[in-house]
Amino acid sequence: MAKGELLLEVRAEEIPARMLQPAIAQLATRVFEELMARDLGPKEVETGFTPRRLLLILKGLPAKEPDRTEQVVGPPVRVAFKEDGSPTPALIGFARRCGLEPEELERVTTDKGEYLAATQSIVGVETSQLLAELLPKLLREINWPKSMVWGDGYGPWARPIHGIVAVLAGQVVPFELFGVQSGAQTCGHAVLSPKPFTVRGAAEYRRKLAKLGIVVQPDERRRILAQAMSEAAAELGGQPVEDPQLLDKLVAICEIPGLMHGSFDADYLELPSEVLTASLRDHQSAFSVEAVRDEEDDESGEPPLLPAFLTVMDRSDDPSGRVRVGNEWVVAARLADARFFFHEDRKRSLEERRGDLAHLTFHEKLGSYQDKAERLAELAALLCRSLGWSEEEASAAQAARLLKVDLTSEMVKEFTDLQGVMGGIYGREDGLGEEIWTAIYDQYLPASAEDSIPRGRTGMVTALADRIDTLVGIFGLGLIPTGSRDPFGLRRAAQGVVRIALDGGMPVDLDLLAAKAARLYGDKLTQSGEEILESLRPFLFDRVRHVLGLAGFAYDEIEAALAVGGNNLPDLKARVEALHAVRGHKEFLSLVLSAKRILNILKDSEEYDLDEARLVEPAEKALFAAFADLKGEVEELAAAGDHEGCLRRTAGLASVLDHFFAEVLVMDEDDALRRNRLGLLQAIHRVVGRSARLTEMVVDKAEHRAKFGD
Amino acid sequence: MQSFQELILRLSDFWAGQGCVLQQPYDLEVGAGTMHPDTFLRTLGPEPWRVAYVQPSRRPADGRYGDNPFRLGKHYQFQAVLKPAPKDIQSIYIESLKAIGLDLSQHDLRFEEDNWEAPTLGAWGVGWQVMLDGMEITQFTYFQQAGGLELDPISVELTYGLERITMFLALSRSIYDMDWVPGGLTYGQVRKQDEYESSKYCFEIADIEFMQTQFEGWERESNRCLEADLVLPAYECALKCSHLFNVLDARGAVSVTERVGLIRRVRRMAVGCAKKYVESREKLGWPLLASQSRAAVAAGEESDHG
Repeated sequence: MAKGELLLEVRAEEIPARMLQPAIAQLATRVFEELMARDLGPKEVETGFTPRRLLLILKGLPAKEPDRTEQVVGPPVRVAFKEDGSPTPALIGFARRCGLEPEELERVTTDKGEYLAATQSIVGVETSQLLAELLPKLLREINWPKSMVWGDGYGPWARPIHGIVAVLAGQVVPFELFGVQSGAQTCGHAVLSPKPFTVRGAAEYRRKLAKLGIVVQPDERRRILAQAMSEAAAELGGQPVEDPQLLDKLVAICEIPGLMHGSFDADYLELPSEVLTASLRDHQSAFSVEAVRDEEDDESGEPPLLPAFLTVMDRSDDPSGRVRVGNEWVVAARLADARFFFHEDRKRSLEERRGDLAHLTFHEKLGSYQDKAERLAELAALLCRSLGWSEEEASAAQAARLLKVDLTSEMVKEFTDLQGVMGGIYGREDGLGEEIWTAIYDQYLPASAEDSIPRGRTGMVTALADRIDTLVGIFGLGLIPTGSRDPFGLRRAAQGVVRIALDGGMPVDLDLLAAKAARLYGDKLTQSGEEILESLRPFLFDRVRHVLGLAGFAYDEIEAALAVGGNNLPDLKARVEALHAVRGHKEFLSLVLSAKRILNILKDSEEYDLDEARLVEPAEKALFAAFADLKGEVEELAAAGDHEGCLRRTAGLASVLDHFFAEVLVMDEDDALRRNRLGLLQAIHRVVGRSARLTEMVVDKAEHRAKFGD
Repeated sequence: MQSFQELILRLSDFWAGQGCVLQQPYDLEVGAGTMHPDTFLRTLGPEPWRVAYVQPSRRPADGRYGDNPFRLGKHYQFQAVLKPAPKDIQSIYIESLKAIGLDLSQHDLRFEEDNWEAPTLGAWGVGWQVMLDGMEITQFTYFQQAGGLELDPISVELTYGLERITMFLALSRSIYDMDWVPGGLTYGQVRKQDEYESSKYCFEIADIEFMQTQFEGWERESNRCLEADLVLPAYECALKCSHLFNVLDARGAVSVTERVGLIRRVRRMAVGCAKKYVESREKLGWPLLASQSRAAVAAGEESDHG
């Protein structure tokens, strides 16, 4: 039992795996904040959990709140005394409340006048007493994604609570939560070691649980499990197929991190490895094992799986081998099921199954998946033509027609995660060309920010068309996502569009594509093509900002590039990249400042022609000469997509511009001179804004001066 | 313990020992033991209740003509319901596993989150699937709502999958090969033909139009019963509709849009019955509350004498 140490353990019936980590993090944060607010901050905070325990250990807690004095202000002097100087009832009452005689009070001056006041010394509350109030409150307030009530109106909480250890420096912190009284007793594993025992501190707690094989630290369980799995797999010449989420789950469903290692009949290896891995993962929370290849091996593709699986059992051993036998029996049953589905599905080719899509509703108001397939085929072909990818046109249309057929397969009904992948595998087995089956296989990529996009052009085109079709259809019904409500996953679809167009370097006009997609819906949509574009455009550009932001570009770089237009996403990205590359250069920053100045001068101004002959001052002549010199070149660079070159070249104007503003008064009294100068600035404004609206760039002037001098 | 009927006998014996009314299967087609009125209706209102029974449960769409070694169109559930849920119900449940012959020192027992929801009953609960050596053997649910009504007190429902457990304990490769009678008839000898015929009927033969007319008819009848304050007959009509819906679904005669509508109609009936049930029990003065206090008095007297 250590001084200033709190041991808090809440034992409950199995708390769902997904809720454990967020719950303990929330509890620890709240307890820490509340203690800090009272000057009772601990030196160390440690947490842990198992399915049946939440653990919080605080070290270095002060024994009590610091003592302090507080001044309490009472009645104003003018109402505190009668005319004869004796205290009024108001004053007597205040003094009594403070436990003082009226003459013991002090006078204080405030901005409202003179008052009587009492200084009271307040003794700090004992930490134990404070925790006794705080802990049940904060435990009750844990915010669970799904909760329940039980017993005599207890809850809401994740699951019923059965025991609480709350010990501060060896002494029980007494409180009650949901009918459970805190104490110093805990117990071991629910089945293997349920006998209660007493703990008076963190070290003793850990020692006694360790003796029972229970590991309360999830990181420790993860380490033990991962190592045991690697070793078991290595013995077979393999390694577990990586899956960090699955490992997290295994860690959260055991107290004792025992490795369950089993095998299955090698005949099942005829199943595609994706199916084996999904079946083991989804049904049995088990890892599949892949062969480790020698480095000299030049075989391509994924390494083959081994007929083995790895998962957790909530115990350290398997004395009679019964646990393994049971797990192997279940896995065999599951794989037999998967094999049954695979063979059922393979009885007809994707092409032969296409008609089944007529019976599968895409959306009540938007028709079946067959309708979608037909739209996609047209859209994908159009996309190929507009990109000049004529070689892919036929394959893209074919892939589009087959894209969703796997939704009718038994395997996808069983493992929804395998949609797309399964279609790809069946297409490969059907002997479809690689461009086509990989397009089907990759259609849901990218599913997350880390994912790559579909691997081939056919895949990129069909995946893009699919998402545009969905976006346009749902927007076309006026069902625009708001806040967190996005039942059709449109944000992800839009993000997919952006990522595929950007990473795939597809200079596609999104407006045109969306308009075409809307037309393909015929009269099914309630919104006009214009209305759809109006709501879809900002929705897509929101994702563009998000994706470019994730890629590390600054807000102003993105806005400056977008302001010049963003339908062609690869070009947009090139402009953002260019801004990012040049923004640190002195000339460029001067140019930005000048651009802002020009914009200021030009605002509300009409358009004027520029007449070279009317330029009189040397500085304006110099500016014109510099402008004339680079104008054509800038246009060419921008048109060729060399936006960095374009920006660098225009930055060449910076010094002549500075000189111009120093020497020339634009707003000359002479109308003709003024108009001609405005005309010159307008021409410059146009050429300077060719790649990006520079005025959107944020320039810290002080920083600029510090870096480059004024 | 490696036969189907021994499992039934031992579970019955165990839960009878926990003070459960040993009830019999409901004599109408149901999709799950939860639909038995002794669960669905009895978990409503404040009256205490404990019941256990076997319930053959029909899921026509899961039928496989007796060909698939793991799937059935009708399987048997053993169901125990305790209201209110005892504080130590998890331990009691673990005792029940020992009672069916499991030596838990040799097994891996885990409780993994699995929340239950029955849209046709307006019911949901939270709980777990209980995993034994990686096999799901029981659904363990704390009911939170039934018939659209918040529950107080909370009931616990334990649903044992009898075929799965028997098969698993015997490590049988097929449902049909496991013993129904110890060393005697197999499950297949007792049930295989029935699985084939039911599958054939539900997938191929059932007269869709007739089923649809039936649905309408039983729905009307349910409403008529409810108007006459006859809760149980109204509920039975709702069960008929629920089963007809399942057959139509297996027959491939329910489109996505229709599905939502049909489920809503069955739920409306179930919710109506639940409401009426609570009213009628209240009118009767919650009879089982009285019997509970009688039992408490009796228990008190016993201890006085002891």
